[in-house]
Amino acid sequence: MSKINAPKSNREFVEACLKSGDAVRIKQEVDWDLEAGAIVRRVCELGESAPFMEKIKDYPGFSYFGAPLSTYRRMAISLGMDPASSLPEIGKEYLKRTNSEPIAPVVIDRKDAPCKENILLGDDVDLCKLPVPLVHDGDGGRYVGTWHAVVTRHPVRGDVNWGMYRQMMWDGRTMSGAVFPFSDLGKTLTEYYLPRGEGCPFATAIGLSPLAAMAACAPSPIPEPELVSMLSGEPARLVKCETNDLEVPADAEIILEGVILPDYKVEEGPFGEYTGYRTSPRDFRVTFRVNAITYRNNATMTISNMGTPQDEGQMLRSFSLGLELEKLLRSQGIPITGVYMHPRSTHHMMIVGVKPTYSGIASQIAHLAFGSKLGPWFHMVMVVDDKTDIYNWDEVYHAFCTRCHPENGIHIYKNTVGTPLYPFATPHERKYSIGSKVLFDCLWPVDWDPVNDVPTTVSFKNVYSKEIQDQVTSNWTAYGYPPVK
Amino acid sequence: MNQWEVFVMDVAELAEDTDLELTIRTLNPGVQKYTYKRVKAQVSSALDKFADQLQVRLGRGQLSKARFSIKVLEEIQRCPAKYL
Repeated sequence: MSKINAPKSNREFVEACLKSGDAVRIKQEVDWDLEAGAIVRRVCELGESAPFMEKIKDYPGFSYFGAPLSTYRRMAISLGMDPASSLPEIGKEYLKRTNSEPIAPVVIDRKDAPCKENILLGDDVDLCKLPVPLVHDGDGGRYVGTWHAVVTRHPVRGDVNWGMYRQMMWDGRTMSGAVFPFSDLGKTLTEYYLPRGEGCPFATAIGLSPLAAMAACAPSPIPEPELVSMLSGEPARLVKCETNDLEVPADAEIILEGVILPDYKVEEGPFGEYTGYRTSPRDFRVTFRVNAITYRNNATMTISNMGTPQDEGQMLRSFSLGLELEKLLRSQGIPITGVYMHPRSTHHMMIVGVKPTYSGIASQIAHLAFGSKLGPWFHMVMVVDDKTDIYNWDEVYHAFCTRCHPENGIHIYKNTVGTPLYPFATPHERKYSIGSKVLFDCLWPVDWDPVNDVPTTVSFKNVYSKEIQDQVTSNWTAYGYPPVK
Repeated sequence: MNQWEVFVMDVAELAEDTDLELTIRTLNPGVQKYTYKRVKAQVSSALDKFADQLQVRLGRGQLSKARFSIKVLEEIQRCPAKYL
């Protein structure tokens, strides 16, 4: 594999984005109380450059980097690719790297770890010493974790999990977060720690390299420390925590260490969520007690402001969820052309292109996707044929509206796994993570005669001969039309 | 005078002239802003009855028009001592 020149830290990423014009340096003071969040939200809605806010009110020496991966350009930069790379090119590169040979991370000496430059222990631990932002007006609190990784390890299996579980500051030592029962951490808590009444050690890493954040966000079966190493083409640098045996990204800006409490919960939320709504109610949720804070000199806190499309919650999750589902379907030998989740669907709709070689193939795809561990995160599967460009919403929408039979093409699945974040779900369904799913089968039935039963698509590329198409396209400007880009 | 805020599903939860157990957050300026406490308190819709003021938000963060004055009687420590 050729050398990958991906940013190895958030700092390198900020520099790369500033250099390419994909970040803006904000020199004037910004208030952590809503102003920073509002800047990031507006950046997301306008598709603008990421804000690097150098001066934070009340917090000299700290800075913010907002909306780190809310454009495909910044995703390409994070992978060390040309910022102008297309989405299919970025996806192809992700699949190539994550299907490559595993690369193990390395554990470095703590004296070489930038995240150990400042260490707060005991009575010095106070989350109020960090510039934790109030992201949206009306949020239940200041959110420490909006773009981060919560690091845990299953005590029996030894599985390491980095997950992006939101974390709200409750007081100077306490955070509460949304950890769903079907998530990796949720399973670890319910399988092991909660029944035993034992605290679960955790570490939260903030200001990660963009690929570490990508790994934390990706629903990949590959352990995240290996996944980030494979994405960057070299071993990720980890370092031991101060107060537990976990290992954290050594180049992260800020590390919080502590214990998830088995027998004490505080309120969490509401919070502006990736669906574009504040849906899940305030409730007593998983509670994190912080025992240590370590951070780099002049630390940068990363902020994601989730809301209406499109922010990195939708961009990156749609990207990685779609590609992991593509891997799943290919592993089962399904003749798919690809899988795409449009960010504007807030990764609720999985669009699959497939060569319809046998009957029931759309149902097979839906069963595999909904039945996988990724299934709770989306509720719509739309299957189109291999001639439909899955990245072209106009083509997909046309196929949906014209080929999906209202009776035979729409299949509803009841009493499945859902998330409390589904805006359409009833309060009861949200409380118990009850879902329902739907398949839109937009394939022509295989028992239709392809000549006499299947309608002919009437389009320029389909109903005219190559000769006529060439004649018209070569004369296009001569007819008086501007060149087609 | 301190400024506080509380989240409730229904403003009727804030019964007057009785001791309530509430989770409130401070709105006082500074780095502690928005941190929480669990307290025993009394509230009143008469804004001049108690020295501190209480603002109310509803289930999804909507700011209520209701305003109260509040007297914090004592702080309640819910967190088990073994974790403190």
